[in-house]
Amino acid sequence: MTDEMTWIIQAQHGDDDAFTNLVETYQKPVYNLCYRMLGEMEAAEDAAQETFLKAYQNLTRYDRERSFATWLLSIAAHHCIDRLRRRRFNSVSIDEDEEGQTDIPDHSAPDPESEIMKHQQGERLQNCLQSLDPTDRAAVVMRYWQDCSEVEIAQALKLTVPAVKSRLHRARRALAELWEEKPTRMRHERKPYGSPAF
Amino acid sequence: MDHRPFEDWLLDNQTLSKPQERDLNAHLRTCSACTAIAEVNLALNSVKEVAPAAGFSDRFQLRFAARKQAIRRRNIWGFIFLTLSALAVLGWAAWPILKELILSPVNLIASWISSLASLWAAVQAITRAGAMLFKVVPGFVPVYVWLAILMAAGMWSLVWVVSLIKFTKFSQGVKNENDH
Repeated sequence: MTDEMTWIIQAQHGDDDAFTNLVETYQKPVYNLCYRMLGEMEAAEDAAQETFLKAYQNLTRYDRERSFATWLLSIAAHHCIDRLRRRRFNSVSIDEDEEGQTDIPDHSAPDPESEIMKHQQGERLQNCLQSLDPTDRAAVVMRYWQDCSEVEIAQALKLTVPAVKSRLHRARRALAELWEEKPTRMRHERKPYGSPAF
Repeated sequence: MDHRPFEDWLLDNQTLSKPQERDLNAHLRTCSACTAIAEVNLALNSVKEVAPAAGFSDRFQLRFAARKQAIRRRNIWGFIFLTLSALAVLGWAAWPILKELILSPVNLIASWISSLASLWAAVQAITRAGAMLFKVVPGFVPVYVWLAILMAAGMWSLVWVVSLIKFTKFSQGVKNENDH
């Protein structure tokens, strides 16, 4: 039996320390998914914490035949999708510059120029991601950042495998169209859920 | 060559053969739309995972403890509310009896004793009537009727036992032709 399965079983029996081990193991992928979905560090932290709380509350329902990582990412993705829908409903406008983007390039790296380029590329991609439909965004993040298979994405997002393929196809096309636009224009562009410019 | 296959290769992230790669590279030099898709694919495959600020699990522990405390408090208040509600409903339902008991306890106890006594008398009367019938009825029924009743009971028991054996011996459901 793996360490992970031992922790899961112990946590299912009420061992909080075992659950903390699971939090430490999965904090990065869960946080990354939340960040890529929500685009804000603070909201991502909150969503990631809520994801682990929900996971703890529903741990007895976890099917041990399934991957724990996929189950956890599924909770995170659904939580973020709900949050984005609520945000859109409330029409909260968040300015791009206030988003707390702290993915700062490493200037002490051996090749700082390439680091800056990578950082700019990452920021540009993050801006493009924010324009996608929340479910498409979750599929893209799970596919590229978490290396999930199409079957795992389908299980996590409660979709069929052809639907996942179609969503990924559509998302890549949308990202490419946004990618072609100038990054400067994208930085000042309002989000679809934002209030109209005055 | 048409633009469509190149776009599909890129959008579906297909694995390409060497000649296909060569054709795609040639196409990318002339097509900005496909170049954008290729750049996006490259960016998606090279971006880093973002990590939370240090101390994430400590912050989780704090939130976890606060949530547990809130749930415990909610459960206690819920229990108190339910208990009080149940007591209120019981009090409301039992109010006529309680009222009687408070106002005239002797009358109420006397009426309870009288009800118990009449119930006891009814039970005794039914028992006596049953015993009387048990003694009288066999004298009215002829012997051949008793024999017919016994035979019917025997047949019914036989059918019941045979059915039971039949249903427990063979599995129920569809038998597969290929199972041997």
